[in-house]
Amino acid sequence: MNPKPWWVTLGFWSVVLLAATYCLFPIYFILVQSLKSPREDVFGNPFIVVHPTFENFEDLFARPSAPRGFVGSALRRSYPVLDWLTNTLVVFTGSIAVTLGTSLAAAYALGRLRPPGFRWWRRGIFAASLIPQTILFVPLYQVVHTLGLDDNLVALLLIYPTMAVPFCVWLLSAYFERLPREIEEAALIEGASRSSAFLWIVLPMSRPVLVAAGIFALGTVASDFMIASIFLLSPHTQTVPAGLGTMDVSLDELGAIAGINLLAIPVVAIAALFARGYVRGLTAAMLEGA
Amino acid sequence: MERAPGRQTRRRDIATAYLLLSPAVLLLLTVLAYPVAWETWASLTSFSPLQDGGTAFVGLANYRTLLTTPAFWWAATVTVGYAVITSTAKVLLGLGFALLLARPFRGRAWVFLIIFLPWAYPASVSVIGWYWMLNPPVATAYAVSLGRVKYAVDSLLGGGAWAFASVILFNIWRGSSFIGVLLLAAINAIPPELFESGRLETTSAWRRFRLVTMPLLKPFLALATFLSLTSAFGDLANVWMLTGGRIVFPVIGTTAYWLAIMAGQFGPGSALSLTLVPLLVGVLLVLFRLFDPPSRDTA
Repeated sequence: MNPKPWWVTLGFWSVVLLAATYCLFPIYFILVQSLKSPREDVFGNPFIVVHPTFENFEDLFARPSAPRGFVGSALRRSYPVLDWLTNTLVVFTGSIAVTLGTSLAAAYALGRLRPPGFRWWRRGIFAASLIPQTILFVPLYQVVHTLGLDDNLVALLLIYPTMAVPFCVWLLSAYFERLPREIEEAALIEGASRSSAFLWIVLPMSRPVLVAAGIFALGTVASDFMIASIFLLSPHTQTVPAGLGTMDVSLDELGAIAGINLLAIPVVAIAALFARGYVRGLTAAMLEGA
Repeated sequence: MERAPGRQTRRRDIATAYLLLSPAVLLLLTVLAYPVAWETWASLTSFSPLQDGGTAFVGLANYRTLLTTPAFWWAATVTVGYAVITSTAKVLLGLGFALLLARPFRGRAWVFLIIFLPWAYPASVSVIGWYWMLNPPVATAYAVSLGRVKYAVDSLLGGGAWAFASVILFNIWRGSSFIGVLLLAAINAIPPELFESGRLETTSAWRRFRLVTMPLLKPFLALATFLSLTSAFGDLANVWMLTGGRIVFPVIGTTAYWLAIMAGQFGPGSALSLTLVPLLVGVLLVLFRLFDPPSRDTA
Protein backbone atom coordinates (compact mmCIF):
# COMPACT_ATOMS: atom_id res chain seq x y z
CA MET A 1 0.00 0.00 0.00
CA ASN A 2 1.32 3.39 -0.92
CA PRO A 3 0.83 6.06 1.74
CA LYS A 4 -2.22 8.25 1.28
CA PRO A 5 -1.75 11.95 0.50
CA TRP A 6 -2.00 14.19 3.58
CA TRP A 7 -5.26 15.79 2.49
CA VAL A 8 -7.05 12.45 2.40
CA THR A 9 -5.96 11.77 5.97
CA LEU A 10 -6.93 15.28 7.02
CA GLY A 11 -10.33 14.99 5.35
CA PHE A 12 -10.95 11.61 6.92
CA TRP A 13 -10.15 12.77 10.43
CA SER A 14 -12.18 15.94 10.04
CA VAL A 15 -15.17 13.77 9.15
CA VAL A 16 -14.48 11.57 12.16
CA LEU A 17 -14.20 14.63 14.39
CA LEU A 18 -17.45 16.03 13.03
CA ALA A 19 -19.26 12.74 13.57
CA ALA A 20 -17.90 12.42 17.10
CA THR A 21 -18.98 15.95 18.00
CA TYR A 22 -22.43 15.35 16.59
CA CYS A 23 -22.81 12.13 18.59
CA LEU A 24 -21.24 13.27 21.83
CA PHE A 25 -22.25 16.90 22.24
CA PRO A 26 -25.75 16.34 23.69
CA ILE A 27 -24.44 13.68 26.07
CA TYR A 28 -21.56 15.90 27.13
CA PHE A 29 -23.84 18.86 27.59
CA ILE A 30 -26.27 16.96 29.82
CA LEU A 31 -23.38 15.61 31.88
CA VAL A 32 -21.86 19.05 32.34
CA GLN A 33 -25.15 20.58 33.52
CA SER A 34 -25.59 17.86 36.12
CA LEU A 35 -22.21 18.67 37.69
CA LYS A 36 -22.93 22.36 38.13
CA SER A 37 -23.79 24.15 41.31
CA PRO A 38 -26.92 26.30 41.11
CA ARG A 39 -24.70 29.34 41.08
CA GLU A 40 -22.70 28.18 38.12
CA ASP A 41 -25.86 27.12 36.33
CA VAL A 42 -27.06 30.70 36.35
CA PHE A 43 -23.85 32.68 35.93
CA GLY A 44 -21.32 30.29 34.42
CA ASN A 45 -20.40 29.32 30.91
CA PRO A 46 -22.98 26.81 29.65
CA PHE A 47 -20.45 24.57 27.91
CA ILE A 48 -18.00 23.91 30.72
CA VAL A 49 -18.07 23.30 34.41
CA VAL A 50 -15.39 25.03 36.45
CA HIS A 51 -16.10 23.60 39.89
CA PRO A 52 -17.75 20.22 39.36
CA THR A 53 -19.90 19.09 42.26
CA PHE A 54 -21.98 16.03 43.06
CA GLU A 55 -24.39 18.17 45.05
CA ASN A 56 -27.24 17.58 42.59
CA PHE A 57 -26.87 13.83 42.87
CA GLU A 58 -26.75 14.00 46.66
CA ASP A 59 -29.81 16.25 46.63
CA LEU A 60 -31.75 13.60 44.78
CA PHE A 61 -31.30 11.19 47.63
CA ALA A 62 -31.80 13.77 50.35
CA ARG A 63 -34.30 13.04 53.10
CA PRO A 64 -37.69 14.75 52.89
CA SER A 65 -37.08 16.97 55.90
CA ALA A 66 -33.62 18.16 54.97
CA PRO A 67 -33.52 21.61 53.37
CA ARG A 68 -32.35 21.25 49.81
CA GLY A 69 -30.47 23.69 47.66
CA PHE A 70 -30.66 27.44 47.91
CA VAL A 71 -34.46 27.50 47.64
CA GLY A 72 -34.81 25.46 50.77
CA SER A 73 -37.28 22.79 51.67
CA ALA A 74 -40.36 24.94 51.28
CA LEU A 75 -40.47 24.89 47.51
CA ARG A 76 -38.70 21.70 46.63
CA ARG A 77 -40.29 18.33 46.80
CA SER A 78 -38.40 15.21 47.62
CA TYR A 79 -38.52 12.08 45.52
CA PRO A 80 -38.11 8.37 46.32
CA VAL A 81 -35.19 8.05 43.93
CA LEU A 82 -33.95 4.83 45.48
CA ASP A 83 -37.32 3.20 44.81
CA TRP A 84 -37.20 4.48 41.25
CA LEU A 85 -33.82 2.91 40.76
CA THR A 86 -34.88 -0.43 42.22
CA ASN A 87 -38.05 -0.45 40.12
CA THR A 88 -36.08 0.38 37.01
CA LEU A 89 -33.66 -2.43 37.68
CA VAL A 90 -36.53 -4.89 38.16
CA VAL A 91 -38.40 -3.72 35.07
CA PHE A 92 -35.35 -3.63 32.82
CA THR A 93 -33.90 -7.01 33.75
CA GLY A 94 -37.35 -8.59 33.88
CA SER A 95 -38.38 -7.28 30.47
CA ILE A 96 -35.11 -8.32 28.89
CA ALA A 97 -35.44 -11.80 30.39
CA VAL A 98 -39.03 -12.17 29.15
CA THR A 99 -38.06 -10.84 25.72
CA LEU A 100 -35.11 -13.19 25.36
CA GLY A 101 -36.99 -16.22 26.67
CA THR A 102 -40.01 -15.86 24.43
CA SER A 103 -38.01 -14.79 21.37
CA LEU A 104 -35.53 -17.61 21.78
CA ALA A 105 -38.28 -20.21 21.98
CA ALA A 106 -40.20 -18.79 19.04
CA ALA A 107 -37.08 -18.31 16.92
CA TYR A 108 -35.91 -21.85 17.55
CA ALA A 109 -39.30 -23.16 16.49
CA LEU A 110 -39.27 -21.06 13.32
CA GLY A 111 -35.64 -21.44 12.34
CA ARG A 112 -35.04 -25.09 13.28
CA LEU A 113 -38.27 -27.03 13.69
CA ARG A 114 -40.10 -25.29 10.87
CA PRO A 115 -43.74 -26.01 11.48
CA PRO A 116 -45.97 -25.73 8.43
CA GLY A 117 -46.27 -22.13 7.34
CA PHE A 118 -43.28 -21.02 9.40
CA ARG A 119 -42.56 -18.22 6.96
CA TRP A 120 -45.98 -16.74 7.58
CA TRP A 121 -45.57 -17.08 11.31
CA ARG A 122 -42.33 -15.19 11.08
CA ARG A 123 -43.82 -12.51 8.84
CA GLY A 124 -46.78 -12.20 11.18
CA ILE A 125 -44.58 -11.77 14.24
CA PHE A 126 -42.36 -9.27 12.49
CA ALA A 127 -45.37 -7.35 11.25
CA ALA A 128 -46.30 -6.81 14.88
CA SER A 129 -43.44 -4.32 15.13
CA LEU A 130 -45.46 -2.08 12.86
CA ILE A 131 -48.08 -1.35 15.47
CA PRO A 132 -46.84 1.33 17.81
CA GLN A 133 -48.02 0.69 21.37
CA THR A 134 -48.37 4.41 21.73
CA ILE A 135 -51.59 4.41 19.71
CA LEU A 136 -53.10 1.75 21.94
CA PHE A 137 -53.21 3.45 25.33
CA VAL A 138 -56.89 3.14 26.00
CA PRO A 139 -57.33 -0.56 25.20
CA LEU A 140 -53.95 -1.36 26.78
CA TYR A 141 -55.16 0.26 29.93
CA GLN A 142 -58.20 -2.01 29.87
CA VAL A 143 -56.03 -5.10 29.47
CA VAL A 144 -53.88 -3.96 32.38
CA HIS A 145 -56.96 -3.21 34.45
CA THR A 146 -58.62 -6.56 33.67
CA LEU A 147 -55.48 -8.39 34.74
CA GLY A 148 -55.50 -6.39 37.95
CA LEU A 149 -52.13 -4.82 37.23
CA ASP A 150 -52.92 -1.16 37.82
CA ASP A 151 -49.93 0.71 39.12
CA ASN A 152 -47.94 -2.51 39.07
CA LEU A 153 -44.52 -3.11 37.58
CA VAL A 154 -45.71 -6.41 36.12
CA ALA A 155 -47.79 -4.46 33.57
CA LEU A 156 -44.57 -3.17 32.07
CA LEU A 157 -43.12 -6.68 32.03
CA LEU A 158 -45.96 -7.56 29.65
CA ILE A 159 -45.91 -4.45 27.49
CA TYR A 160 -42.17 -3.82 27.05
CA PRO A 161 -41.32 -7.25 25.61
CA THR A 162 -43.87 -6.82 22.81
CA MET A 163 -41.86 -3.84 21.59
CA ALA A 164 -38.66 -5.85 21.24
CA VAL A 165 -39.89 -9.39 20.53
CA PRO A 166 -40.66 -8.92 16.79
CA PHE A 167 -37.14 -7.73 15.97
CA CYS A 168 -35.50 -10.27 18.28
CA VAL A 169 -37.44 -13.15 16.72
CA TRP A 170 -36.39 -11.94 13.26
CA LEU A 171 -32.76 -11.72 14.38
CA LEU A 172 -32.58 -15.06 16.19
CA SER A 173 -34.57 -17.08 13.66
CA ALA A 174 -32.44 -15.75 10.79
CA TYR A 175 -29.40 -16.97 12.70
CA PHE A 176 -30.89 -20.36 13.57
CA GLU A 177 -31.87 -20.88 9.98
CA ARG A 178 -28.29 -20.38 8.85
CA LEU A 179 -26.74 -22.62 11.48
CA PRO A 180 -25.74 -25.83 9.66
CA ARG A 181 -28.28 -28.51 10.46
CA GLU A 182 -25.61 -31.23 10.55
CA ILE A 183 -24.27 -29.97 13.87
CA GLU A 184 -27.50 -30.63 15.69
CA GLU A 185 -28.32 -33.76 13.73
CA ALA A 186 -25.04 -35.36 14.71
CA ALA A 187 -26.05 -35.03 18.34
CA LEU A 188 -29.50 -36.43 17.63
CA ILE A 189 -27.95 -39.44 15.94
CA GLU A 190 -25.79 -39.97 19.00
CA GLY A 191 -29.01 -40.32 20.94
CA ALA A 192 -29.30 -36.88 22.48
CA SER A 193 -32.75 -35.44 22.84
CA ARG A 194 -33.76 -32.25 21.05
CA SER A 195 -33.75 -30.31 24.27
CA SER A 196 -30.28 -31.37 25.30
CA ALA A 197 -28.98 -30.75 21.78
CA PHE A 198 -30.44 -27.26 22.05
CA LEU A 199 -29.06 -26.68 25.51
CA TRP A 200 -25.53 -27.95 24.90
CA ILE A 201 -24.97 -27.23 21.22
CA VAL A 202 -27.29 -24.64 19.72
CA LEU A 203 -27.47 -22.29 22.70
CA PRO A 204 -23.70 -21.93 23.25
CA MET A 205 -23.26 -21.36 19.51
CA SER A 206 -25.79 -18.55 19.51
CA ARG A 207 -24.27 -16.49 22.29
CA PRO A 208 -23.29 -13.54 20.06
CA VAL A 209 -26.80 -13.29 18.60
CA LEU A 210 -28.31 -13.53 22.07
CA VAL A 211 -26.09 -10.65 23.19
CA ALA A 212 -27.28 -8.63 20.19
CA ALA A 213 -30.91 -9.39 20.98
CA GLY A 214 -30.36 -8.51 24.64
CA ILE A 215 -28.75 -5.17 23.84
CA PHE A 216 -31.51 -4.38 21.39
CA ALA A 217 -34.06 -5.20 24.08
CA LEU A 218 -32.22 -2.98 26.56
CA GLY A 219 -32.18 -0.11 24.07
CA THR A 220 -35.90 -0.53 23.40
CA VAL A 221 -36.93 -0.83 27.02
CA ALA A 222 -34.74 2.08 28.06
CA SER A 223 -36.28 4.31 25.40
CA ASP A 224 -39.80 4.21 26.74
CA PHE A 225 -41.06 7.15 28.67
CA MET A 226 -44.73 7.29 27.81
CA ILE A 227 -45.90 3.81 28.82
CA ALA A 228 -44.10 3.96 32.14
CA SER A 229 -45.62 7.30 33.01
CA ILE A 230 -49.13 6.19 32.06
CA PHE A 231 -49.19 2.86 33.86
CA LEU A 232 -47.15 3.68 36.95
CA LEU A 233 -48.89 6.33 38.96
CA SER A 234 -47.77 6.36 42.56
CA PRO A 235 -44.28 7.69 43.29
CA HIS A 236 -43.06 4.48 44.91
CA THR A 237 -43.84 2.23 41.95
CA GLN A 238 -42.40 4.52 39.31
CA THR A 239 -39.31 3.88 37.24
CA VAL A 240 -36.67 6.56 36.79
CA PRO A 241 -38.05 7.98 33.50
CA ALA A 242 -41.61 8.07 34.82
CA GLY A 243 -40.45 9.65 38.05
CA LEU A 244 -38.31 12.27 36.34
CA GLY A 245 -41.34 13.17 34.26
CA THR A 246 -43.15 14.20 37.43
CA MET A 247 -40.41 16.54 38.59
CA ASP A 248 -40.97 20.23 38.44
CA VAL A 249 -39.33 21.60 35.35
CA SER A 250 -38.26 25.00 36.57
CA LEU A 251 -37.55 24.31 40.23
CA ASP A 252 -35.77 20.99 40.03
CA GLU A 253 -33.89 21.43 36.80
CA LEU A 254 -30.50 20.40 38.12
CA GLY A 255 -31.92 17.52 40.13
CA ALA A 256 -33.69 16.11 37.12
CA ILE A 257 -30.59 16.49 34.97
CA ALA A 258 -28.68 14.57 37.62
CA GLY A 259 -31.44 11.95 37.55
CA ILE A 260 -31.01 11.58 33.81
CA ASN A 261 -27.35 10.76 34.31
CA LEU A 262 -28.15 8.45 37.18
CA LEU A 263 -30.03 6.17 34.80
CA ALA A 264 -28.03 6.86 31.67
CA ILE A 265 -24.56 6.13 33.01
CA PRO A 266 -25.18 2.49 34.04
CA VAL A 267 -27.21 1.77 30.89
CA VAL A 268 -24.54 3.27 28.65
CA ALA A 269 -21.83 1.39 30.52
CA ILE A 270 -23.58 -1.95 30.01
CA ALA A 271 -24.31 -1.20 26.37
CA ALA A 272 -20.71 -0.11 25.77
CA LEU A 273 -19.42 -3.26 27.40
CA PHE A 274 -21.39 -5.37 24.94
CA ALA A 275 -21.11 -3.00 22.00
CA ARG A 276 -18.74 -5.18 19.99
CA GLY A 277 -20.71 -8.29 20.77
CA TYR A 278 -23.80 -6.44 19.59
CA VAL A 279 -22.32 -5.81 16.15
CA ARG A 280 -20.90 -9.32 15.98
CA GLY A 281 -24.30 -10.78 16.78
CA LEU A 282 -26.09 -8.66 14.22
CA THR A 283 -23.49 -9.66 11.65
CA ALA A 284 -23.89 -13.34 12.49
CA ALA A 285 -27.62 -13.10 11.83
CA MET A 286 -27.09 -11.26 8.57
CA LEU A 287 -24.38 -13.48 7.10
CA GLU A 288 -25.42 -14.50 3.66
CA GLY A 289 -24.76 -18.04 2.56
CA ALA A 290 -22.42 -18.79 5.43
CA MET B 1 -31.90 -47.75 18.26
CA GLU B 2 -34.43 -46.36 15.86
CA ARG B 3 -33.55 -43.01 14.47
CA ALA B 4 -35.54 -42.82 11.30
CA PRO B 5 -36.49 -39.18 10.75
CA GLY B 6 -39.94 -40.48 10.05
CA ARG B 7 -43.39 -39.06 10.26
CA GLN B 8 -43.51 -39.67 14.01
CA THR B 9 -40.49 -37.46 14.73
CA ARG B 10 -41.70 -34.78 12.38
CA ARG B 11 -45.09 -34.67 14.03
CA ARG B 12 -43.47 -34.36 17.43
CA ASP B 13 -41.23 -31.57 16.13
CA ILE B 14 -44.24 -29.69 14.86
CA ALA B 15 -46.00 -30.02 18.20
CA THR B 16 -42.86 -28.77 19.98
CA ALA B 17 -42.67 -25.89 17.54
CA TYR B 18 -46.19 -24.73 18.35
CA LEU B 19 -45.50 -25.11 22.04
CA LEU B 20 -42.38 -22.97 21.74
CA LEU B 21 -44.16 -20.35 19.66
CA SER B 22 -47.02 -20.01 22.10
CA PRO B 23 -45.48 -17.64 24.71
CA ALA B 24 -44.47 -15.07 22.10
CA VAL B 25 -47.74 -15.39 20.22
CA LEU B 26 -49.79 -15.22 23.41
CA LEU B 27 -47.94 -12.10 24.47
CA LEU B 28 -48.52 -10.41 21.14
CA LEU B 29 -52.18 -11.42 21.12
CA THR B 30 -52.86 -10.03 24.60
CA VAL B 31 -50.91 -6.84 24.45
CA LEU B 32 -51.15 -6.06 20.74
CA ALA B 33 -53.84 -7.91 18.80
CA TYR B 34 -56.58 -7.56 21.39
CA PRO B 35 -56.03 -3.82 21.88
CA VAL B 36 -56.01 -3.31 18.11
CA ALA B 37 -59.29 -5.20 17.80
CA TRP B 38 -60.80 -3.26 20.67
CA GLU B 39 -59.68 -0.02 19.17
CA THR B 40 -61.18 -0.95 15.82
CA TRP B 41 -64.48 -1.59 17.55
CA ALA B 42 -64.26 1.64 19.53
CA SER B 43 -63.56 3.62 16.39
CA LEU B 44 -67.01 2.61 15.10
CA THR B 45 -68.79 3.88 18.19
CA SER B 46 -69.28 7.07 20.12
CA PHE B 47 -67.59 5.57 23.18
CA SER B 48 -66.57 8.13 25.75
CA PRO B 49 -66.25 7.89 29.51
CA LEU B 50 -67.56 11.44 29.81
CA GLN B 51 -70.80 10.66 28.07
CA ASP B 52 -74.13 10.10 29.76
CA GLY B 53 -76.21 7.33 28.29
CA GLY B 54 -75.00 4.31 26.40
CA THR B 55 -72.38 3.94 23.73
CA ALA B 56 -73.91 4.16 20.29
CA PHE B 57 -72.72 2.33 17.22
CA VAL B 58 -72.06 4.99 14.66
CA GLY B 59 -70.53 3.02 11.82
CA LEU B 60 -67.98 4.93 9.82
CA ALA B 61 -69.17 8.31 11.00
CA ASN B 62 -65.98 8.97 12.98
CA TYR B 63 -63.88 8.31 9.91
CA ARG B 64 -66.16 10.39 7.72
CA THR B 65 -65.83 13.32 10.10
CA LEU B 66 -62.07 12.97 10.12
CA LEU B 67 -61.71 12.84 6.37
CA THR B 68 -63.68 16.04 5.95
CA THR B 69 -61.73 17.92 8.62
CA PRO B 70 -58.86 20.01 7.23
CA ALA B 71 -57.03 19.63 10.55
CA PHE B 72 -56.82 15.88 9.97
CA TRP B 73 -55.17 16.34 6.59
CA TRP B 74 -52.74 18.82 8.09
CA ALA B 75 -51.84 16.30 10.83
CA ALA B 76 -51.49 13.53 8.25
CA THR B 77 -49.23 15.69 6.09
CA VAL B 78 -47.05 16.61 9.05
CA THR B 79 -46.84 12.96 10.10
CA VAL B 80 -45.76 11.81 6.66
CA GLY B 81 -43.37 14.73 6.34
CA TYR B 82 -41.87 13.97 9.74
CA ALA B 83 -41.43 10.29 8.90
CA VAL B 84 -39.94 10.94 5.48
CA ILE B 85 -37.56 13.70 6.57
CA THR B 86 -36.24 11.85 9.59
CA SER B 87 -35.96 8.50 7.83
CA THR B 88 -34.10 9.94 4.86
CA ALA B 89 -31.67 11.76 7.11
CA LYS B 90 -31.22 8.77 9.39
CA VAL B 91 -30.55 6.30 6.61
CA LEU B 92 -28.12 8.65 4.84
CA LEU B 93 -26.24 9.53 8.03
CA GLY B 94 -26.30 5.91 9.16
CA LEU B 95 -24.89 4.78 5.84
CA GLY B 96 -22.20 7.42 6.22
CA PHE B 97 -21.31 6.16 9.69
CA ALA B 98 -21.24 2.56 8.52
CA LEU B 99 -18.96 3.33 5.59
CA LEU B 100 -16.71 5.41 7.84
CA LEU B 101 -16.27 2.44 10.15
CA ALA B 102 -16.16 -0.23 7.46
CA ARG B 103 -12.41 -0.20 6.98
CA PRO B 104 -9.88 -0.56 9.75
CA PHE B 105 -8.01 2.49 10.96
CA ARG B 106 -6.23 3.40 14.15
CA GLY B 107 -8.74 4.16 16.87
CA ARG B 108 -11.68 2.61 15.05
CA ALA B 109 -12.96 0.88 18.16
CA TRP B 110 -13.28 4.25 19.91
CA VAL B 111 -14.98 5.94 17.00
CA PHE B 112 -17.38 3.02 16.81
CA LEU B 113 -18.20 3.36 20.48
CA ILE B 114 -18.85 7.09 20.07
CA ILE B 115 -21.21 6.48 17.15
CA PHE B 116 -22.98 3.76 19.12
CA LEU B 117 -23.61 6.07 22.09
CA PRO B 118 -26.60 8.18 20.96
CA TRP B 119 -28.65 5.00 20.58
CA ALA B 120 -27.30 3.37 23.72
CA TYR B 121 -28.07 6.46 25.76
CA PRO B 122 -31.55 5.73 27.14
CA ALA B 123 -33.97 7.78 25.08
CA SER B 124 -36.50 7.87 27.89
CA VAL B 125 -34.30 10.30 29.75
CA SER B 126 -32.27 11.82 26.92
CA VAL B 127 -35.51 13.24 25.60
CA ILE B 128 -35.93 15.09 28.90
CA GLY B 129 -32.33 16.26 28.62
CA TRP B 130 -32.87 17.46 25.07
CA TYR B 131 -35.96 19.32 26.07
CA TRP B 132 -34.02 21.28 28.64
CA MET B 133 -31.05 21.72 26.42
CA LEU B 134 -33.23 23.34 23.76
CA ASN B 135 -35.81 25.01 26.01
CA PRO B 136 -33.74 25.96 29.04
CA PRO B 137 -35.36 27.29 32.22
CA VAL B 138 -35.05 31.07 32.33
CA ALA B 139 -32.45 31.03 35.06
CA THR B 140 -29.75 29.20 33.10
CA ALA B 141 -26.83 31.04 31.62
CA TYR B 142 -27.67 30.26 28.00
CA ALA B 143 -31.42 30.84 28.20
CA VAL B 144 -31.31 34.27 26.63
CA SER B 145 -29.15 33.45 23.64
CA LEU B 146 -31.01 30.22 22.89
CA GLY B 147 -34.30 32.03 23.39
CA ARG B 148 -33.33 34.43 20.64
CA VAL B 149 -32.69 31.55 18.23
CA LYS B 150 -35.98 30.01 19.23
CA TYR B 151 -37.97 33.16 18.58
CA ALA B 152 -36.18 33.76 15.31
CA VAL B 153 -37.16 30.28 14.12
CA ASP B 154 -40.70 30.58 15.43
CA SER B 155 -41.34 33.97 13.88
CA LEU B 156 -40.08 32.69 10.56
CA LEU B 157 -42.01 29.40 10.45
CA GLY B 158 -44.78 29.88 12.97
CA GLY B 159 -45.00 29.26 16.70
CA GLY B 160 -43.91 25.77 17.68
CA ALA B 161 -41.50 25.44 14.75
CA TRP B 162 -38.49 25.38 17.04
CA ALA B 163 -40.04 22.65 19.15
CA PHE B 164 -40.85 20.61 16.10
CA ALA B 165 -37.36 21.09 14.69
CA SER B 166 -36.01 19.82 17.99
CA VAL B 167 -38.15 16.68 17.66
CA ILE B 168 -36.71 16.07 14.23
CA LEU B 169 -33.17 16.69 15.43
CA PHE B 170 -33.59 14.35 18.37
CA ASN B 171 -35.09 11.59 16.24
CA ILE B 172 -32.27 11.85 13.71
CA TRP B 173 -29.59 12.01 16.39
CA ARG B 174 -30.69 8.76 18.02
CA GLY B 175 -31.85 6.93 14.91
CA SER B 176 -28.78 7.56 12.77
CA SER B 177 -26.71 5.90 15.47
CA PHE B 178 -28.90 2.78 15.45
CA ILE B 179 -28.97 2.56 11.66
CA GLY B 180 -25.24 3.21 11.42
CA VAL B 181 -24.49 0.24 13.68
CA LEU B 182 -27.07 -1.94 11.90
CA LEU B 183 -25.55 -1.18 8.49
CA LEU B 184 -22.03 -1.65 9.82
CA ALA B 185 -23.03 -5.14 10.90
CA ALA B 186 -24.50 -5.71 7.44
CA ILE B 187 -21.28 -4.57 5.73
CA ASN B 188 -19.29 -6.87 7.99
CA ALA B 189 -21.54 -9.70 6.83
CA ILE B 190 -20.61 -9.21 3.18
CA PRO B 191 -17.97 -11.78 2.23
CA PRO B 192 -14.65 -9.96 1.61
CA GLU B 193 -14.11 -11.87 -1.65
CA LEU B 194 -16.87 -9.80 -3.19
CA PHE B 195 -15.02 -6.60 -2.40
CA GLU B 196 -11.81 -8.13 -3.74
CA SER B 197 -13.36 -9.05 -7.05
CA GLY B 198 -14.95 -5.63 -7.20
CA ARG B 199 -11.51 -4.11 -6.75
CA LEU B 200 -10.26 -6.08 -9.75
CA GLU B 201 -13.20 -4.99 -11.88
CA THR B 202 -12.93 -1.28 -11.36
CA THR B 203 -10.60 1.21 -9.72
CA SER B 204 -13.26 3.82 -9.03
CA ALA B 205 -14.34 3.70 -5.40
CA TRP B 206 -17.69 5.25 -6.25
CA ARG B 207 -18.45 2.61 -8.90
CA ARG B 208 -17.44 -0.15 -6.48
CA PHE B 209 -19.76 1.33 -3.89
CA ARG B 210 -22.61 1.47 -6.38
CA LEU B 211 -22.06 -1.91 -8.00
CA VAL B 212 -20.92 -4.04 -5.07
CA THR B 213 -21.76 -2.48 -1.71
CA MET B 214 -25.16 -1.02 -2.48
CA PRO B 215 -26.83 -4.11 -3.99
CA LEU B 216 -25.61 -6.27 -1.12
CA LEU B 217 -26.76 -3.74 1.44
CA LYS B 218 -30.18 -3.29 -0.14
CA PRO B 219 -32.13 -5.67 2.11
CA PHE B 220 -30.63 -4.09 5.21
CA LEU B 221 -31.23 -0.56 3.96
CA ALA B 222 -34.84 -1.64 3.48
CA LEU B 223 -34.97 -3.06 7.00
CA ALA B 224 -33.50 0.14 8.43
CA THR B 225 -35.95 2.27 6.47
CA PHE B 226 -38.84 0.11 7.63
CA LEU B 227 -37.91 0.33 11.30
CA SER B 228 -37.33 4.03 11.03
CA LEU B 229 -40.57 4.81 9.19
CA THR B 230 -42.77 2.74 11.48
CA SER B 231 -41.30 4.25 14.61
CA ALA B 232 -41.71 7.75 13.19
CA PHE B 233 -45.33 7.17 12.17
CA GLY B 234 -46.21 6.00 15.63
CA ASP B 235 -43.98 8.48 17.40
CA LEU B 236 -45.90 10.16 20.14
CA ALA B 237 -43.65 10.25 23.16
CA ASN B 238 -40.86 12.29 21.61
CA VAL B 239 -43.18 14.73 19.93
CA TRP B 240 -45.24 15.10 23.05
CA MET B 241 -42.25 15.55 25.32
CA LEU B 242 -40.30 17.93 23.15
CA THR B 243 -43.17 20.18 22.17
CA GLY B 244 -45.13 20.06 25.41
CA GLY B 245 -48.23 19.12 23.44
CA ARG B 246 -47.98 22.16 21.19
CA ILE B 247 -50.33 21.89 18.24
CA VAL B 248 -48.83 24.00 15.49
CA PHE B 249 -47.24 20.97 13.90
CA PRO B 250 -49.63 18.26 15.03
CA VAL B 251 -48.84 14.67 14.20
CA ILE B 252 -51.51 12.00 14.19
CA GLY B 253 -50.04 10.35 17.29
CA THR B 254 -50.25 13.42 19.51
CA THR B 255 -53.61 14.53 18.14
CA ALA B 256 -55.13 11.12 18.84
CA TYR B 257 -53.61 11.07 22.31
CA TRP B 258 -55.02 14.48 22.97
CA LEU B 259 -58.45 13.51 21.66
CA ALA B 260 -58.67 10.20 23.51
CA ILE B 261 -56.91 10.85 26.81
CA MET B 262 -57.28 14.58 27.34
CA ALA B 263 -60.69 15.10 25.76
CA GLY B 264 -62.10 11.66 26.54
CA GLN B 265 -63.36 11.09 23.00
CA PHE B 266 -62.36 7.43 22.69
CA GLY B 267 -64.35 6.77 19.53
CA PRO B 268 -62.95 9.55 17.33
CA GLY B 269 -59.54 9.18 18.99
CA SER B 270 -59.39 5.51 18.10
CA ALA B 271 -60.45 6.25 14.54
CA LEU B 272 -57.70 8.83 14.31
CA SER B 273 -55.06 6.38 15.61
CA LEU B 274 -56.18 3.76 13.16
CA THR B 275 -55.79 6.04 10.16
CA LEU B 276 -52.07 5.32 10.65
CA VAL B 277 -52.59 1.66 9.87
CA PRO B 278 -53.06 1.87 6.07
CA LEU B 279 -49.87 3.93 5.89
CA LEU B 280 -47.97 1.37 7.94
CA VAL B 281 -49.29 -1.59 5.99
CA GLY B 282 -48.28 0.12 2.76
CA VAL B 283 -44.75 0.62 4.05
CA LEU B 284 -44.61 -2.98 5.18
CA LEU B 285 -45.77 -4.42 1.87
CA VAL B 286 -43.33 -2.37 -0.16
CA LEU B 287 -40.32 -3.12 2.00
CA PHE B 288 -41.09 -6.70 3.02
CA ARG B 289 -40.11 -8.14 -0.33
CA LEU B 290 -36.71 -6.57 0.08
CA PHE B 291 -35.70 -7.76 3.52
CA ASP B 292 -37.74 -10.87 4.17
CA PRO B 293 -35.00 -13.48 4.65
CA PRO B 294 -34.58 -15.34 1.38
CA SER B 295 -36.48 -18.60 1.52
CA ARG B 296 -33.87 -21.24 1.62
CA ASP B 297 -35.51 -24.47 0.66
CA THR B 298 -33.32 -27.07 2.22
CA ALA B 299 -36.19 -29.28 3.23
